[in-house]
Amino acid sequence: MTRVPPSHNITQLLAEWREGDQSALDELYPLVYDELHRLARRYMSRERKGHTLQTTALINEAYVRLVGQKNVQWANRSHFFAISAQIMRRILIDHARHHAYAKRGGGAQQVSLEEAAVVTPDQSAELLRLDEALTSLAEMDPRRSQVVELRYFGGLNNEEIAGVLNISENTVTRDWNMARAWLYQQLTGSGAN
Amino acid sequence: MTPERWQQISRIFNAAISLDGEDRAEFVAGECGVDTSLRSEVEKLIDAHSNASAEKFIGGMAAEAAAPLLVGDENLEPARKVLTQGQQFGSYEILEALGEGGMGEVYLARDTRLDRTVALKVLAYEISTDERRMKRFRQEARVASSLNQPNILTVFEFGEVEGLTFLATELVDGKTLRDFLKGKRPKLGDILDIGIQILAALDAAHEAHIVHRDIKPENVMIRDRDRVVKVLDFGLAKVSFTKQSEASEAATEFKTAPGTIVGTIRYLSPEQARGGAVDERTDIWSTGVILYELVAGSTPFGGVTSSHTIVQILEKDPVPLSKLGNAPPELERIVQKAMAKSPDERYQTAKDMLIDLRSLKKRLDVELEIQRTSSPTTMIDAVRTVELRRQRGKERSKKKVLAIALIGMAIVTAAIFGINKWRASRARSNPSVTPTVPAPASERTLTYWITVQKFRDKKPFQNPFTIPGEMIFEEDYQIRLSFSSPQAGHLYILNEGPAATSAPEFNVVFPSPTANKGSSLIAAGQVAQIPEQSWLKFDAQQGTEKLWLIFSEDAVPELESLKEFAGPATQGLVADPARNKVVQAFLNTHSETKSSVEKGERLTTLKTPGNLLVHAIKLEHH
Repeated sequence: MTRVPPSHNITQLLAEWREGDQSALDELYPLVYDELHRLARRYMSRERKGHTLQTTALINEAYVRLVGQKNVQWANRSHFFAISAQIMRRILIDHARHHAYAKRGGGAQQVSLEEAAVVTPDQSAELLRLDEALTSLAEMDPRRSQVVELRYFGGLNNEEIAGVLNISENTVTRDWNMARAWLYQQLTGSGAN
Repeated sequence: MTPERWQQISRIFNAAISLDGEDRAEFVAGECGVDTSLRSEVEKLIDAHSNASAEKFIGGMAAEAAAPLLVGDENLEPARKVLTQGQQFGSYEILEALGEGGMGEVYLARDTRLDRTVALKVLAYEISTDERRMKRFRQEARVASSLNQPNILTVFEFGEVEGLTFLATELVDGKTLRDFLKGKRPKLGDILDIGIQILAALDAAHEAHIVHRDIKPENVMIRDRDRVVKVLDFGLAKVSFTKQSEASEAATEFKTAPGTIVGTIRYLSPEQARGGAVDERTDIWSTGVILYELVAGSTPFGGVTSSHTIVQILEKDPVPLSKLGNAPPELERIVQKAMAKSPDERYQTAKDMLIDLRSLKKRLDVELEIQRTSSPTTMIDAVRTVELRRQRGKERSKKKVLAIALIGMAIVTAAIFGINKWRASRARSNPSVTPTVPAPASERTLTYWITVQKFRDKKPFQNPFTIPGEMIFEEDYQIRLSFSSPQAGHLYILNEGPAATSAPEFNVVFPSPTANKGSSLIAAGQVAQIPEQSWLKFDAQQGTEKLWLIFSEDAVPELESLKEFAGPATQGLVADPARNKVVQAFLNTHSETKSSVEKGERLTTLKTPGNLLVHAIKLEHH
């Protein structure tokens, strides 16, 4: 008796990626991107007034939707969080670019008044600058850059970050302090670099 | 900056920030020595650290700060659907999005196994993550899918693909009663036809103890080609309410969301509006409201706000139909009875109301037939003809009435026969739910059944069916195993193929990465299906396949370790003679614990004293 091979699913892709198969990530990325994007927007339209967006809750929801509730395996989950933090960053940056572009008068559609009221120009510009600085940091110190990504974009706490990166919580704290100070320097122009 | 320099700075920085004031300055000075540029960089970084802390720089989350960006962009692109056209979703291919309903999104899809077109409803996430709701939903869907009545939308499958819960149903090419009513007043004959079919559906459902609870024009579809009525969301509507005082909760739900579901509240029964216990008679009320609306052109109750409507439902008598439309008095009486405020004064069963509606319809048909056969030739004669018909018709119609009555009886007999037959088949076809009363601790119970799908020319052939285990399988049969136990425990399933050599080789069927997410532990009452998304097929080697079932209170180390073979590399085959021997020894030792086997029409239940159950299912295949 043999098993009829089932179709590819997220769980499998995550496992393959964990085992070092980079092509699995290529397949995962768009799936997770779409899901997170969709959820983020739904969250936001639902909570229009409060404007609170719990990233962790969002990613958890995406995880459950994509992977399934019963399958909460830490190894998969932490990898999922790692990729989700990266993707959240992408989503927000994409949106920030879009806005910056719209502000300059580009794009086919006008920015509505309502929208102009909620988005201060600084928000998108600052986010774009932070993204650039984080990319520079990654070239120099990929782990510290990832700590910031997981915490700021992925909404993970130190304990979770320690789990994802397989380092101690103390190291996470130290990495965070150093990275944040450096990023602050870059963004305020107070750095030597 | 060189990596070494960077590491050096960060080392000093990290140590320094854990110190205060003078200690810190002293430490930095000592560490940097004569390297003034190093010292300056560390100091700047320490300043940045203090400022960043004070300003809570990137202290929150990016998404919070950038959240408005996401909202603003809503205007720029349309929201994405859960599934996209052309996407493969389990064994379904998504053809197009049909729309969005209260419980989720609906797609037109093709079932690639059976090559048929279906409506695929993907449940909204809010519903699918509520475990308690889902449990009820599953149960209801199972029962609803066993309802086999032409006026009830057939549920083909209820399942889950990659975390999304879906419902595949028959596709009805038509419109909802709500749309059907737009801009027109249906004829009396149509009204009766619609009412009769809704009640026929309710009658079947009530027989199966399913109360719809949400009968409204939006849940009634009319097929374009033959005007057959299909009632939707059977037994599913129920789960949108929770168990305790579901109706009162429903009422609050309506109250708190004005505008969104206002249409729905008008069909609520008084007991639903009040939050009391709800039974079959609630559906009778709602059918009454629909009939009233069909005749009058508007619902009997409808206030400015939901609260007004609720008060009307509870207290007000609707305007009599005779004042609003030209309904025959019998219909008015039927509707009035269906809409009695007290459930005890209503029709007690859908069947009673159905009988009344049918006989009214029959009578009107007869009258219509008489009218047709004696129809006036000219309009001028109309008045006179009516007078004449009174006398002429009496003789003429007698024969006809008799003939029609006989046909009517034949239909009723057939219907009763059909219902009995259906009931009998239902009793057979409803795989009895796993008992919820836990067995004594010293006994293990495991129920299993096998779903068989025949294939012909590599295509699914006929519908899958369920058997309790024994059958002669042909090579192109594919099977699925389902298990459930009232107890939690570790389940292992090994396949032992027809022995080609003296040493048996085992195949790990369960757990595997694709079944139960790789875990051997099944929860009490959980139904484990193996494999989850595909089938097991017989290979060319004929003979007796053994499926060893091992169900244990504790994890079995000898078997637990076999998981490593379950991965894609070995496809479950225990590729190690020594390990096969260990398994064989284990099975030999424990297979003597005799389990009692209770075989039903579709299920087999195994029971063993003790905390370990070992049983072999033998599957013959040729």
